[in-house]
Amino acid sequence: MSGATLERGIHAFKEAIDAPVASFFSSCVRCGLCAHACLFYTETEDPKYTPIHKLEPLRRVWQHEYTFWGRYAKAFGLSKPVTDEELGEWESLVYDSCTMCGRCSMVCPVGNDIAYMIRRMREGMAASGHAPEGLIGASQRAVTIGSPMGVKLPALQAQIRHLEQDTGLSIPVDVEGAEYMCLLSSMEIMNFPEYIGAIAKIFKQANVTWTISSEAFEATNSGVQIGVSDIAAELVQRVVNAAEKLKVKAVISPECGHAYFAIRWEGPNLIGKPFNFKVLHIMELMDQLREEGRLKTTGKETQRLTYHDPCQITRRGGVVEQPRNLLRMVAENLVEMPEHGTMNWCCGAGGGVSSNERADALRLKVFSRKKAQLDAIQAEGLVTACSNCRIYLEEGLEENNMDIPVTSLTETIAEHLADEGQTGAQ
Amino acid sequence: MTETELLLWVRGPALQVATVIFLVGVAVRLLEILVLGRKVDLAEARGSAVAGGLRTIVMRSFADRATLQRNAFTEVTGWIFHIGFFVTLLFYAPHILMFNSVLGFSWPALPTPVIDATAVVTMIALVVVLIHRVANRVMRFLSRFQDYLVWLLTLLPIVTGYIAFHRVEIAPPPLLIDIHIISVELFLIVFPFTKLMHAFTLFMSRYYNGAIAGYRGVKS
Amino acid sequence: MTQITNETEFRRVLDGLDAERQRAVAAQFVKHILPLCDDERIARVTDVAASEDVSEDRLAEALRTAKATMTDCHARCGAEGDWKAQAGYFVARAAVAALTPAGQLPGGLAWQAAMSSRMAKTCESIVTGEDLAGRESTEQYRILTDYLNS
Repeated sequence: MSGATLERGIHAFKEAIDAPVASFFSSCVRCGLCAHACLFYTETEDPKYTPIHKLEPLRRVWQHEYTFWGRYAKAFGLSKPVTDEELGEWESLVYDSCTMCGRCSMVCPVGNDIAYMIRRMREGMAASGHAPEGLIGASQRAVTIGSPMGVKLPALQAQIRHLEQDTGLSIPVDVEGAEYMCLLSSMEIMNFPEYIGAIAKIFKQANVTWTISSEAFEATNSGVQIGVSDIAAELVQRVVNAAEKLKVKAVISPECGHAYFAIRWEGPNLIGKPFNFKVLHIMELMDQLREEGRLKTTGKETQRLTYHDPCQITRRGGVVEQPRNLLRMVAENLVEMPEHGTMNWCCGAGGGVSSNERADALRLKVFSRKKAQLDAIQAEGLVTACSNCRIYLEEGLEENNMDIPVTSLTETIAEHLADEGQTGAQ
Repeated sequence: MTETELLLWVRGPALQVATVIFLVGVAVRLLEILVLGRKVDLAEARGSAVAGGLRTIVMRSFADRATLQRNAFTEVTGWIFHIGFFVTLLFYAPHILMFNSVLGFSWPALPTPVIDATAVVTMIALVVVLIHRVANRVMRFLSRFQDYLVWLLTLLPIVTGYIAFHRVEIAPPPLLIDIHIISVELFLIVFPFTKLMHAFTLFMSRYYNGAIAGYRGVKS
Repeated sequence: MTQITNETEFRRVLDGLDAERQRAVAAQFVKHILPLCDDERIARVTDVAASEDVSEDRLAEALRTAKATMTDCHARCGAEGDWKAQAGYFVARAAVAALTPAGQLPGGLAWQAAMSSRMAKTCESIVTGEDLAGRESTEQYRILTDYLNS
């Protein structure tokens, strides 16, 4: 990252400290409960992974800049300044062992939203040049190419052509006046392109007009993951420009956790003004269609299925009941993991962790938490609504010799769509 | 200094100074937080931030079942010493008289034997909490000098109060009470500079947490 | 003589096959695009999938190997995408489908193997610039036709 210096990092830390952050630091009583909520601690028992500890450099900046006694201590040379070396040490704590899943924020007795603070701390980490290589590359590609994985329009068009052939349906691009503009994550375009076919089928049945924008098809916001709000805002603005140009009612976020959070909750705040269109996760839209009676399915999955909540969509995003409503339509044996919904355990790969090769070993190690959850209910199938969760759950399951297929919620619904004249029973 | 002079100083200027430092210190700390402000959320709300914030202020005192099971010791000992501390502080008749002289109103006291027992339980709980802090891997790792200092300053008023009440013959009764009051003054003076501020800021933190989550339609 | 010439027929016929026959056809689909995958493990497991009279244990072992290969080959999130390597991922995915027990994959295992195989070709086409996926569908109709008539 050009222009990265400790000075810029400290400055970014200062900018990141708002009333909530100051309140949170003031309230911490060092009870350690956050550690027991974080899979990076519970599966390693290494106290350095205690969530509040990951914020230590930010805390010291808060102390020395925004508390009267801290300022005096600094003036009298009694404070320990944050050093470049220290930020180097903290890089892996902030980026490798945290997905911003927010489970710690749910259990802190004094109410600290630690994930909120980590997001803000990343701004300083990136500005000081202490962010993982993988994320830096992804962000640069996102800005210059339009996709963190370098997926260019011709590649997307090839996938679209293929899916049009497979499904026999047209996949609209750049249609002005469509109700919905659908975003896609690079992970989906590369690893799970059938998602595009699935939504085409669903929208056809529900009689929904939709489109993809050739100018802004990428959902993934690498800027949010690395913590560079300027990049994050640029990526959001592209989507906004396309949505306004195509005059759509709503932008549909695909099966990707952080993409949803970035556009739905951070988006307007990054660009400094409200959107004049709605933002929905594909699950929210499908559930709406279900409620309106426009989604007709047939047949049911019979194996013991469970749903993995992507943290950014459920706990941090607020989409909790919709996947369950949808799955109940097509699954007769849906069971919940012991801790599910807003108290689910993270897959361990979100928030940039999966882009970071250095974090691979740790990420695989902490999968044991998810394994325990699945073992407890003897799950035979796992459904989720985030392609990052999906592929890294697959990896974790494979590493642990667990034979549980992982499928996408949208694709599962699409597979059970009733043909005309066929509804309800098999 | 004679005994009378000490008594007058402890219950007079010292108490005034300690109280002023406490009140001004707390006010400054709270203002320092509020002045930083919070940007208005421009995303479309799904739920009510205010309702969420108020809900979390209350509900965050109660952990979800799995968290409770996982951290039973911390949760239970925490509850015991906090409740014990407040019961001893607020429902002991001589304390209520003191509050009355400052606030102008009072409330019913609990029987003194109950307070006595509560104080004992609280002291035991505090000792247990210290042992836990040192023995527990995470707490030991996180703890700084301040955590141990605050522990001591929280324990001292209860211990000195207990000793004064039982007229333990280590010093004349008026002196025992002076020592108790001095321990309270220390507590008040150190309060704004430490994590004891959580007594006030936890309302703000819980509110922010619940508001941020409530805005998105999540009960935190 | 049965001729499969369109997608609807293709899907309907695949759906109607029993698990063993679906596996046999799926293996054929995978063999056809095997050159797109560098990993020799996939060639081995495809042979297993194509074998008649193979034990449940051998199938399960082959499935595990295929899954391991698949997770090794997928594009890392945020990494620079390599469409040639990605073709290999889809070949592995097709092999996984071919070896998955019946009833676990929505749409059936042969269908999934066919779809993944076409995806592999699409990846190749992104690299070469030709439109290859459409041709693969036609090839798959031919493979199915030949299988039914053998």
